[in-house]
Amino acid sequence: MTIQNPPEIDSRKIREILWERKKEVVVSLKSCAHCALCADSCFLYRCRKNDPKYMPSHKVINSIGTIYKKKGKVTRAELEEIRDIVWKRCVLCTRCYCPLGIDIPSLISLARQICRSQGVVHDFEEGKIE
Amino acid sequence: MIKVTQKDLKEIVETVQDYAQILIVGCGGCASVCLGGGQKEVDRLCAELNLVFKAERKPGRATGYTIERQCNPVFIDELKQIIDKYDCALSMACGAGCQYMAELYPGVPMFPAVDTVAIGIDRDIGVYEERCRACGECVVGYTGGVCPVTRCAKGLFNGPCGGTSGSMCEVNPNIPCAWVEIYNRLKDQNRLDNIKKIRPTVKWQNQTQRTLIQKR
Ligand code: SF4
Ligand code: SF4
Ligand code: SF4
Repeated sequence: MTIQNPPEIDSRKIREILWERKKEVVVSLKSCAHCALCADSCFLYRCRKNDPKYMPSHKVINSIGTIYKKKGKVTRAELEEIRDIVWKRCVLCTRCYCPLGIDIPSLISLARQICRSQGVVHDFEEGKIE
Repeated sequence: MIKVTQKDLKEIVETVQDYAQILIVGCGGCASVCLGGGQKEVDRLCAELNLVFKAERKPGRATGYTIERQCNPVFIDELKQIIDKYDCALSMACGAGCQYMAELYPGVPMFPAVDTVAIGIDRDIGVYEERCRACGECVVGYTGGVCPVTRCAKGLFNGPCGGTSGSMCEVNPNIPCAWVEIYNRLKDQNRLDNIKKIRPTVKWQNQTQRTLIQKR
């Protein structure tokens, strides 16, 4: 039996998806004032005892922000880290509010779209309910 | 959450076999959580359909694409760049998601690839039990946290039907009688008074579609 290696990350495809919405991504990343006002509007941030890792802006910067900064050249391990941010720390309830009008859920959903395009998705069968 | 399960492959083939380009759309929400219509299930159905088309020499060709949710326009919007390339779409979201997609892309014939089964709980991974039928007038506060609409086969509101046998339901002897559970739970909590008053039955007839505007 041969063990199949996961396919290589296709950064061209990632860039293609990213470029399609480049303007929105750039404007959003540039205009975030790090005011943290979005934090309180996220129920996950609040019920995780105000853990900054759950702040909507933190999630955006460390997912789509990272992908953009690296121009799509991310490793599988980096993409897996991003997968955990965008699936485990955000449920895309679309309730967060940014006074500057940054559409956080849409950016997080874009990061998920990029992960999906590389087959890096959250496994809902992972971890049995004890 | 909402629980869905894939339809029989034969039924799916029958609904889409006359179309050439078929888009299978997964849902990243409830449908993924219950392992019924997420990206994994989309990929599987896609491969199965293409195999059938090939074997039966049908012109159809299926392509899969999963969006984060089909009950919210923010995420459905993602399809607008690609949907025009397809002759029809199969939705793997719940009935609500499938209908919203049909509404937002009225030019594309939309077919469900799953059956929406329940609003339910997770007993284990892949094992779900129905708990609510969204009747709109929740009574579990009086019935010890057991829903008589969902869990009593006859949806009775004022005690058991009389067919209860050995604590099991007469309609299906493998399912516990909801009213035995209601009685025992309330008895243990000293709350039997809760079911002594007669409750009017729900008026199921002529129900119109509900819209929810959350007041704060
Ligand atoms: S509210 Fe908007 S501007 Fe402020 S930190 Fe959050 S995302 Fe950035
Ligand atoms: S969409 Fe994500 S970041 Fe925004 S409030 Fe919901 S869970 Fe928090
Ligand atoms: S479309 Fe249906 S299955 Fe998908 S998230 Fe919405 S309610 Fe859940």
